Parts: sequence; structure tokens; C-alpha cells
Amino acid sequence: MAYVTVTGGQTAIQEAEKYVKYMRIGQAETILDLNAVQGQLRLLIDKVMSEGGLYAPDEAALALKQSEGDVMEAAFLLRAYRSTLPRTHVTSTIEPDDMRVIRRISSSFRELPGGQMLGPTVDYTHRLLRFSLRKESTSDVQEFLEQYLPNIAPAHTVTSMPKVVELLREQGMMEAKLADVDEEPFDITRERISYPAPRSARMQMLARGETGAMCALAYSSMRGYGIVHPTIGELRVGYVSMYVPHPFAPEDPDRALYIGEMLVTEVESINNFKQSNEGKPVMVLGYGLTIGQNELKAISMAILERSLDTVGTSPAQDEEFVLTHIDCVESSGFVSHLKMPHYVTFQSEIDRISQSQAHYDSKDKTSSIAKDAVTEGAMEHV
Amino acid sequence: MKMAEISKVLVEGDQALLKQFAEEVEANHQITIIKHPGRSLVMAKTRDSVSRAPFYIGEVLVSECTVSIDQVYGLGVVMGDEPEKSYHLAVVDAALLAKLPVTEQWMERLVGAKAALDEKRRWQHAQAAKTNVDFATVEEFGDDKR
Repeated sequence: MAYVTVTGGQTAIQEAEKYVKYMRIGQAETILDLNAVQGQLRLLIDKVMSEGGLYAPDEAALALKQSEGDVMEAAFLLRAYRSTLPRTHVTSTIEPDDMRVIRRISSSFRELPGGQMLGPTVDYTHRLLRFSLRKESTSDVQEFLEQYLPNIAPAHTVTSMPKVVELLREQGMMEAKLADVDEEPFDITRERISYPAPRSARMQMLARGETGAMCALAYSSMRGYGIVHPTIGELRVGYVSMYVPHPFAPEDPDRALYIGEMLVTEVESINNFKQSNEGKPVMVLGYGLTIGQNELKAISMAILERSLDTVGTSPAQDEEFVLTHIDCVESSGFVSHLKMPHYVTFQSEIDRISQSQAHYDSKDKTSSIAKDAVTEGAMEHV
Repeated sequence: MKMAEISKVLVEGDQALLKQFAEEVEANHQITIIKHPGRSLVMAKTRDSVSRAPFYIGEVLVSECTVSIDQVYGLGVVMGDEPEKSYHLAVVDAALLAKLPVTEQWMERLVGAKAALDEKRRWQHAQAAKTNVDFATVEEFGDDKR
């Protein structure tokens, strides 16, 4: 495919930009405050950061404001911004097992060591429009905090929470935990991917995939276009600490520098059994881990990760199909490019169909030559 | 207290303490800025529960600064747009690595800051623990009612 540059319309483009600005703020009574966006639209911020592949809440809020709430555009803006910055460090391996948990549930076991903790969720509440929020004020917030905060006193200790799947392992229902491996992962931001992809590349692509696309593919697997329909062994939301090795003592973990903590969602799913290496039937683990609180995406990731290890002809079992179509920047960019001028290519299509029609009109309309000419034109368009 | 733990207390604890430490160093030593505070990226590497091998979950925006004190380099890296904080962290890091006399007075205040951070974390844990739940099946619920 060849491209031809178009020119012109500079004034119109500048006016279009002003028009966008007018639509964004021209009739606004109050200007959207970034702190409000970041603080009160946290799940949206989490989604933008996760799909943009960059943990940066302030910049995600800015991107959402600039894009007028278009999540894919905001993720694109973050992705574009990150490409302008140098990468100076890689964290020491974050161990999600050490998460500071704020939510932890299991749909497999009712009673867990450490207990189930609903955390911040609307899963069990009436999901109806609350019209009272129309007039929510800062005094309402103050009143809420005055009632809510005094009822919380620091716990004596922070309870540790062993993983639920360990219960299954103890009972021999699941394959034994593998030993930790510390090989260098594949990096899709630096290396060109080819299929079959290394598992670390697959996990990285899933971790920054678009929630809607991943949910659709995971749903397809559960509906029968695939074979994965798991039970949630454990879903956790919480904060993981991040350290970078100190450049003057890279091998000494005690000298590592703490840089902050990141909110993540982790899902360990339990799937239909397979035979272990010894031939014993055992259950199989699926895994999802995403930036921010995004439970739908983490569950979808656990389903797709597992589905890609199964054999079949469904879309959710096709690694290349799944991984190349879940990235919102690539998919939205390719679909959106259709809006750009295609005048030359389209003119060539007009020329071809004119020639084909002329050929068709001059021949017997049922002749194979005429049919071939028309078919060729249609195929070219595809 | 190990350096990793100190850096956690300084990043998550009271920012006035970090600033105070940096100012105490500045008052007694010449600080050379090797790399001015600026934005950069840190790639976050985490572990896959299935294979137990690492993978990259995404990048983190950080502020970073490098200084030197008496030929000893110090590094400050912190999440977010925090240029001043990254400078203060770098100064404190260099001071600790150079084992400057001024740092000898810090441990007591660091222990206090760590205790405050621990209490904050225990409060946050209690907040989440308020939502602890015991699910019962309908049959069990019926048994309880009887």
C-alpha cells in the first residue's frame, strides 16, 4: 500500500481545534478540576492507566480531561507521553503475595484463612441511579466523614492472608507450586513480537489490553466458543510496594530504594482439571493481574491466559487473534485511520470499477470473464 | 533499620521529616547536583502465579534526581511528579551512604516515623476489615434462625 500526502485546510484545522475547545469548556459553568477527576473517577483513571500501560494518576486525569472522557484517546495520550520519557530503572520483582490487601473474596471457598473482605465494592448493593448525588455538596462529605471515620480504630496487627489455592495444593487437588524463576521477561515495548509469543510477552500484552475487548473474548469462551469457564479461587485488590535496585549496590535487596506503591487487582482462577505430569487429575490455575482496581479485566485476563493454553479453533484459543486485537491503541488507531483522506486510493477504486463495468457492459453478462473482473474489484477493496 | 526500609519511611511518611533531614545536610555540606530532578519511567516487573516467572505489568512515572556529597553519589526516585521530593531523597541517600555525622541523629526520628506509618497501615487494614464477611448458605441461615 502506498500513501500520498495531502495538504491544505490549515485554517479549517485550526478552527476545528477551537471548536473542540468550545465544546469542551465554552459552555461550562465550572472548569473540571483535575483533583476532582482523579479523586472521584478513580475506576476510570485506573482503566486509562492500565490500558495506557503507565501508572501515572495525575497524567491520566489530565488525559481524560483533554480527551473529554474518551478512554481510548486518553490511553493513547498516556502511551504517546511515555514514549517521550527515558526509562531509567526496572523494579525488583514485585511479589503480589505481599500485597497490602483492601479487598479479598473467593467464590470457591466460604471460609478462608484470613477471612473474606468485601472492600470497596458495589457488588452486593442496589445498583440504581442515586438522584441524591445531583446535589451532593462538600458539607455532605464532611458529615459522612464525621460519622464514618471515628468508627475505625487501628488494628492491632495486619493479618496475613495466605493464598486460597494453597488449600487446594495441600489437598493434592492442584499441581504443586513451581519454584520461582528469575529470568529476564520479554518486553513488548522494546522488542517485536512474533507468535507463538513467550509467556511473559503474553502476560504483558494481556495486562495492558482493553477491558471491553478482553471481556468480550473471555465471555465468548464461557459461552462455548472455547472451553474455559473458571471459578474465582481468589480475587484481591490492594497495594504492592515497588523498589528499584540501588545502582551502587544492585545485588543487595536491603539497599533497594522504595519508590511508592501501586494499586493492582489480582485474580487466581480455578479451571477444569487436567492430568498432572504423574498422570493424576488435578485442577489448573489461571492468572490475571492488572494495574488499578479493574476486576472485570483481571478476571478476563485469567480466562484468556488459560484459554490460550488450550487447544481448539475458537477465537479465544488463538493466541495471535487475541493478543493482536486487545490493544486499544492499535485497534482504535487502525479503525480511526479510515477517517483520514483516502482520496487517491478511492479514486483508483473508482477507476477500477469503471473499467470493470465497461468490460461487463461490453460482454455477455453471464460470461466468466465479466464475473471474474467484478469479483476481482470487490476483492481488491477487501 | 535497613536502607530499603528507611527509604520507605521517607517516601510514605511525614514529608516535613524528609525535608528537615535534607536541610540539615545542606547546612553542613556542599551538595553537587549531578542530575537535576526530572521525569522518567520505571518498568514494573511482577511475578506470574502460574509459571512463577516474572513479566512486565507496565511502567510507572517517577521523578528522579542524583546528587553528590564529598564524591559520594545519592539517588532519589519517587513515584509521580515530585521534583523537590526526589532531590531531598537524593540528598538523604548520599548522606547515609557517606555516613555523614549528621545522620547519626536521625535514627530515633526515623523509628518514630516508621511507628506512625505502621499505625496508618493498621488503620487502613482496620478500614478494610470492617467489610469482613461470613457467607452462609440459605440452609445454614435457616438453622441459625431456628
